[in-house]
Amino acid sequence: MMPETKARSTSASDKAIVAEHLCKVFSVTKGTLRRTKSQVVAVKDVSFEVGYGELFGLVGPNGAGKTTTIKMLTTMLIPTSGKATVLGYDVQKNVTKVREKIGIVLGGERGLYTRVNAIDNLRYFADLYGVPASVRDKRIKELLEFMGLWDRARDRVETYSKGMKQRLHLARGLINDPELIFMDEPTIGLDPEIARDTRDMIQQLVEKGKTVLLTTHYMFEADELCKRVAIIRKGEIAALDTPSGLKKYVRDASVVEVEGFGITDKEVAKFKETRDVLSVSADLGENKQVLRIQTPKGSEIISAVQEILKNSRIYDIKIKEPTLEDAYLRLVTT
Amino acid sequence: MPRVLTVVYSAFRIAMLHWVADPQWVIPNIIAPFIFTAVALTLFQGSSGPFGLYAVLGGGMMGMWGNTLYSSGFAIEFEKWQGTLEEVIATPSQLMHVITGRSVSNALFGLVNMVAVLVIAALGFRIPLGIANPLLFSISLLLTLLSVSSLGLIFASAFVLSRSAQTLTNGLEIPLYIISGSMFPVALLPFWIHPAAYVLGPTWGIDAIRLATSQEYASQTFWAGMSWNTAIILDLTIMLVITVGYVALAAALFKMVETRSRINGTLVEA
Repeated sequence: MMPETKARSTSASDKAIVAEHLCKVFSVTKGTLRRTKSQVVAVKDVSFEVGYGELFGLVGPNGAGKTTTIKMLTTMLIPTSGKATVLGYDVQKNVTKVREKIGIVLGGERGLYTRVNAIDNLRYFADLYGVPASVRDKRIKELLEFMGLWDRARDRVETYSKGMKQRLHLARGLINDPELIFMDEPTIGLDPEIARDTRDMIQQLVEKGKTVLLTTHYMFEADELCKRVAIIRKGEIAALDTPSGLKKYVRDASVVEVEGFGITDKEVAKFKETRDVLSVSADLGENKQVLRIQTPKGSEIISAVQEILKNSRIYDIKIKEPTLEDAYLRLVTT
Repeated sequence: MPRVLTVVYSAFRIAMLHWVADPQWVIPNIIAPFIFTAVALTLFQGSSGPFGLYAVLGGGMMGMWGNTLYSSGFAIEFEKWQGTLEEVIATPSQLMHVITGRSVSNALFGLVNMVAVLVIAALGFRIPLGIANPLLFSISLLLTLLSVSSLGLIFASAFVLSRSAQTLTNGLEIPLYIISGSMFPVALLPFWIHPAAYVLGPTWGIDAIRLATSQEYASQTFWAGMSWNTAIILDLTIMLVITVGYVALAAALFKMVETRSRINGTLVEA
């Protein structure tokens, strides 16, 4: 059972998040004797809105500016220009108010005090969030029960599996009963079953009325969970739509999926140079390799595929409808 | 409990839980002051005057200094290693209050060193440790602990401002140990060092601790000629004033550090 949560507070804005032309530039200093300064643009111009109760996805390649955008919205970084409000509060002027009302869940195994147990981890953060002592212990128990960790609550976190640590991250992100939760790649590195459980929990949070901003590298995850998805590329929003709306970006193409063995990077590169190929993604595993080739020509390019892969073994070739991942690849590579 | 105290206590509590769970920190913090004390006691053997007392209390103070400079200065780095710094910064609590809790826990652990050194000196080296005024001794020790902790706060903020803060901290440990009069009376140090000694809060605290331990020491203090009780109260008053100054300076530094880090991203991964 998901713990009871408080009703949404009324605020001046009817949007949970409003980001307007956010920009973040970092100054980088190099050298010891002759110091040179340069500037790195992490986020160039990002604008979007997220409604209350919405599960909004922010996707993009590494270094595109997803995390920097989240850090600005969660008050951990000050934007170089632009403005943003979170739950009606200005992220630059009302830092404490914003922090009190949001939760943050970061992916990975770090971010927990591993030498102490789950209860002490949650108790510490409850105190830092100003959760009254009368509420704190009850909420910790409810959250750990919800996450399926109550039986191990008094064990040191260092003895937890990856999945258990991720569930504890989620519990920690909910300790202040936030209205809005920022989740930065919450399923990264998790095995499929635990990632599935984590997605279910995120879904339950939204059903309970929470607003979630999620970043992920997994397009199927964004497709399955998010009401709307923004694709961020080189610090700018390349596209923002519902998952089905984004798929329309690749309506002109179909996907030729090739399953084979012995496919080399050189051959993948050859596809990229081939006419009528819009984009290629390759999963070159040790036992099975899969190429996804976007093309407006569909089955017409199969002979070209066979020619390029003449030195490799081809198990199967299928023509498929484009997915959100195909739309993403098109948008971030073109 | 007021919100600030809840945060300081909670940070103190989690730091103590870590200390208990990670005994590797205890070993160097007890062995090092013990060796220092043993060396000093051996050197001063046969000398007249309260040299044994100097060595014993000096060794204990070294433990407190060492803990504060190393651990408190490293408090923010510790959070970075754990990967918890971003989560802590993202809360509505002020980073300074969190680090204050950690700093107090570090100094308190230094107290363990002090007790260990006293026990070792009494049992291993047969140094008489009769404390003239146990109440004033305890008050002086606790207030010195707070003063050392407040100095730790300044070092903690310096770690964020400069990556070379660790080198600075390591380099400062022994000079501060000497300047504060932990091992030798400040009066024995060159005159030009005195100003540096007297702006350090713990210098006055150590003086008060020694005075509370032995009236014999009164003739060697800054307050020579004054009554014993007055000298202790003056020591503690000056230390408290300096400590308030340290806290004010630390608060200003933390405010600057937090604003700077939110501009240039030094505390978070972006």
